[in-house]
Amino acid sequence: MEIFLLFLPLLASITSGFFGKYIGDRKSEIITSTFVSISAFLSLFLFYQVIVNHYESNVTIATWINSGTLNVNWSIKVDALSSVMLVVVTLISSLVHIYSIGYMSQDPDKPRFMAYLSLFTFAMLTLVTSDNFLQLFFGWEGVGLCSYFLIGFWFKKDTANAAAIKAFVVNRVGDFGFALGIFLIFYLFDTVNYSEVFQQIPQIIDKELLFLGINIKAIDLICILLFIGAMGKSAQIFLHTWLPDAMEGPTPVSALIHAATMVTAGVFLVVRCSPIFEYSPLTLNIITLVGMTTAFFAATVALVQTDIKKIIAYSTCSQLGYMFFAAGVGAYNVAMFHLFTHAFFKALLFLGSGSVIHSFKDEQDINQMGAVYKKLPYTWILMIIGTLALTGFPFLSGFYSKDAIIEFAYLRGNTAGYYAAGVGILTALLTSVYSWRLIFKTFHGTYNNQKLKIEEMHESPMVMLIPLIVLAIGAIFAGFLFKDLFIGHGGENKFWGDSIMFLNPLSTEHPPLWVILITPTLVCLSIPIAYYLFVKNKKIPIWLVDENKPLYNFLINKWYFDKIYNVVFIQSSKKIGLFFWKMIDVKVIDKFGPDGISSLIKNLSVKASNFQSGFIYQYAFMILIGFSALLTFLILQ
Amino acid sequence: MLAHSLFFYFFSLIAIISAIMVTVSKNTVHSVFFLILDFISISSLFIMIGAEFLGMIMLIVYVGAVAVLFLFVVMMLNVAKQKNQWFSAKESSKHIPVGIIVSVIIFFELIIVISGWKYKPDLVTAMSLKINTDISNTHSIGYVLYTDYIHIFQLSGMILLVAMIGAIVLTFRHRTGVKKQSYFTQISRERSDSVELVDVENNKGVKSDD
Amino acid sequence: MIDIGLSHYLTLGAIIFTIGIVGIFLNRKNIIVILMSIELLLLAVNINLVAFSIFLNDISGQIFTLFILTVAAAEAAIGLAIIVVYYRNSSTINVENIDSLKG
Repeated sequence: MEIFLLFLPLLASITSGFFGKYIGDRKSEIITSTFVSISAFLSLFLFYQVIVNHYESNVTIATWINSGTLNVNWSIKVDALSSVMLVVVTLISSLVHIYSIGYMSQDPDKPRFMAYLSLFTFAMLTLVTSDNFLQLFFGWEGVGLCSYFLIGFWFKKDTANAAAIKAFVVNRVGDFGFALGIFLIFYLFDTVNYSEVFQQIPQIIDKELLFLGINIKAIDLICILLFIGAMGKSAQIFLHTWLPDAMEGPTPVSALIHAATMVTAGVFLVVRCSPIFEYSPLTLNIITLVGMTTAFFAATVALVQTDIKKIIAYSTCSQLGYMFFAAGVGAYNVAMFHLFTHAFFKALLFLGSGSVIHSFKDEQDINQMGAVYKKLPYTWILMIIGTLALTGFPFLSGFYSKDAIIEFAYLRGNTAGYYAAGVGILTALLTSVYSWRLIFKTFHGTYNNQKLKIEEMHESPMVMLIPLIVLAIGAIFAGFLFKDLFIGHGGENKFWGDSIMFLNPLSTEHPPLWVILITPTLVCLSIPIAYYLFVKNKKIPIWLVDENKPLYNFLINKWYFDKIYNVVFIQSSKKIGLFFWKMIDVKVIDKFGPDGISSLIKNLSVKASNFQSGFIYQYAFMILIGFSALLTFLILQ
Repeated sequence: MLAHSLFFYFFSLIAIISAIMVTVSKNTVHSVFFLILDFISISSLFIMIGAEFLGMIMLIVYVGAVAVLFLFVVMMLNVAKQKNQWFSAKESSKHIPVGIIVSVIIFFELIIVISGWKYKPDLVTAMSLKINTDISNTHSIGYVLYTDYIHIFQLSGMILLVAMIGAIVLTFRHRTGVKKQSYFTQISRERSDSVELVDVENNKGVKSDD
Repeated sequence: MIDIGLSHYLTLGAIIFTIGIVGIFLNRKNIIVILMSIELLLLAVNINLVAFSIFLNDISGQIFTLFILTVAAAEAAIGLAIIVVYYRNSSTINVENIDSLKG
C-alpha cells in the first residue's frame, strides 16, 4: 500500500509530462488529480492505522548503495511523524491539483503544470518516508528542483526566471551546509541510516572536532550544519530572500510549495533528527533565536507590503519561524501540530487569494482592490475563516497550536524562554494586524481598481471553491480535533512513540492565566483597530508613514537584506564570473584549447602548402638543403 | 712537372669558367656552346692524365651526340626568342642569396671531406702518376669490360635501347595524309585484282566504273 | 700548388658539381638549362671517378665512367623528348609556368 502511495504521483507526473500532448489537457488534469487523490485517501487510511493500531513499517524498495560500510536503501518508512507529513502533503497536493483545474483554465501549458505538481508531490513523499539521510537529501533536492520548475513556470517572463534561479541558488547555500552535515554524520558514525545514527549519538557526546580552527563539539557541529540546510529550505532569516520572489509562480504553486509542504521540510528535518538535536543545547538555542527573529522580521515587513501574495508569503515565513521556535524550546510535537494546522489555513489563504486574483483578472496589488465583499461572498467568507485561524482567534485551529507554542516557551523558565514568549506575543499581534489589513483593504473600503468595473466582478467557479471549502473545514476543526493527539495531556505522548525524542520530558504544568489569555485578547482587540485604521480613517496610516519615514523605508526594503546581499555577494560573484569567463575561459583556455589549436593548424598548413609550389627546381632545392644538412651532421659527428 | 700543372690549371680554369657561363648566359644557344667547351676541356684533362680512351669517348658521345641533340632542341623550340633575362623577373631574385649560401655550404663540406680524408701514403706527393705504360688505356679497359663487367655492359645496351624506344614513343605523332608504300599489298597483288578482260563492241567505249 | 695531386682533381670536381647544383635552382630561364646543369653534375662525377682510377691504379673507375656516360646520354635523350612534347602542348618552356603540381 505504501508503494502505491508513493508511486502513484510519479506515475501521474510521467503520464502527464511526457504524454500530455497526446492525451489532451483535460485527461492529464483528471489523471493527475485522481492519482494524487488516491494517494491522499491512502495516506488518511495509514494515518488512521497509526493512530489506532500504532502501525509502523519500513518497506524496502531497492538497495541503492552497497559499498563498504555505506549501505543505503530506497525505503518507505511509515511512523507517526511521517504519517502526519504524508497526510499533509497528499491532502494539500490533491486539493491544489483540483484547484488548478480551474485556476489554470486559460493557460496553454496545463499538462506540464500538472506534471510538475505531481512530480513535486512524489519528491516530497520520498523526503518524508525516507529512513536514511541520503534519500532525504534526494527528496530535498527533488523538491528544490520542482520548486525551480514551478516558480519559473511562465518562463517567458524575465522576473519569473530570475526568481526561480534565486530560489534555487539560495536553497543551494542551505543545501551545502546540509550536505556537510551528512558527510560529518557518515564520518563519525560510518552509516547514514536514521536508526543506526540515532542509536550511536549518546556515545559521542563529548567528542570534539577541530573545524575551521575552532574546537567545537561534534554534535553541535552536526546540528548546526543540518539546521543551515533547514534554514535554506524553510526560508528562515538570512536565507529567506527567495520566498517573496517565489510568488512569481502561479498561485496554486505558492499554496502547495510555499505554504504547506516544501518550506515545512526544514521543520520536518529538525523534528526527525530530534534525537540528535536534543543533545545539543547550543543549537537548540540558536534555533529558537533564529525562529523568533524570523517570525518578528517577517511580521514587520508584511505590515507594509502591497502585493496580496507577498503578504501571505511573509506570513508563511513568520509562521515557520514559530515552528522552529517551538522546536528550539524542545516542543517538537507542538511544532508538528502547528505545521499541521498551518498547512490548512495557509493553503486556504493562498488559494483564496488566488480566487481574488482570478476575479480581478490577475491584479495582485491590494491598493487596486476594495469593496467587493458582496460580489465575491464565498471567497470573502473563506478568507475570513483563514485569517481567523491564522491569527489564533479562540477555538479555531491556529489558536490551539500557536498558543501552545507560546505557553511552552514560557514554561521553559529561563530568561530566554520569557524573552521568546514575549516576542511571540508581539508577533501574534502584528500577525493579526497585517492579516486583517489584507482582508479590509481587499474586500472593504472603496473600490479602487482602475481597469475593471465593479459590475464585472464575479465569483470563481465551483471547481476552485470546493478545495477552499475542504480546507476551511480543516482550518476550523483540525486544531480542536487533533489537539490531544498531537500535544497530549499531562505529559503522555503515546502517539508519537519513537519518532520524536524528548530528552527531558516536557513540562506538564499550566502557565499562569494571564499568559493564556493575553494572546487571544490582543487578537480580538486588533480586529476593530485594524478596521478603523484601514477602512474608516485612512489618514492615520498615511500620517504614521510620513512621521516615520526611515522606519517605513526600512520595512518596505525588507530590512535591506536584499540590498546588502546584492552588494556583498551578487555583484562580486557577477564580477568574478565575468572575469573568469572573459579572461580565463575565452583568452586562456580557448586560446590554448580548441580555438588556438585549430587556428594554429590552419596557419601552419597554409604555410606548409607553400612548399608545394609546383616548381621542380624548388623541390630539387629542398633535396639539396636536406643533403647539406645530412652532410653537416655526418661531418660534425 | 711544371708543364703538367700549367696544363692542369689552364684546362680546369676553362672548365670552371665555361660551367659558370652555362648557367649564367642570357642566350640559350650560348649556354649550349659553353657546355661543349666544358666537355672539350675536361676531355683534354682526361687525355692528359692518362685515360685517353675515356677522353676520346667523351668527345665523341658527349660533344658529338648529346650536345648536338641539345642544340637541335634549342633551335627547334625557338628558345632564343623568349625573354631571357638573367634570373627572369625581379620578384624571384630573393632566392639568389639563399641559394648561393646553400651551394657554398655544400662546396665547403665537400672540401672538408676531401681534406679530412686519410691519403694513402704513396699518393701524398702526386708526382708518381702511376700509369701502366705497358699496355694502352684502351687495351686495359678492353681486358676488363668484356670479361668481368659483361653483364653491366649488356645492360647498358638495353638502357640505350629503351631510351631510344622511349624517345620515339614520346614524340611520335601520327600524321594524316602522308603517302606511304605498303610493300605487302604490293607484293601480294594477284592478276585477278589488276587485269580484267572485256569484250568491246564496235564504236562503243569501255566504261570504267571504279 | 705546383705538384698536382689527387686533391686538386677532387677539388675541381667539387667546384663543377657545385656550379651544376647552382644551375638547377637558381635558373629561371628555361628547362634546357636545367638539363645542361644535370650534365655538368655527371661530368663532375666523371672527373672524380677518373682521378681516383688513375691515382689508385684501378681500372674499374674508368669502366664505371663509361657506364655513366651511357646513362647520361640516354637520360638526356629522354629529357629532351619530354621537353619537346611539353612544348608542343604549351608553347612555352619557361620554368616559372610549369607549376601544375602546385598544391
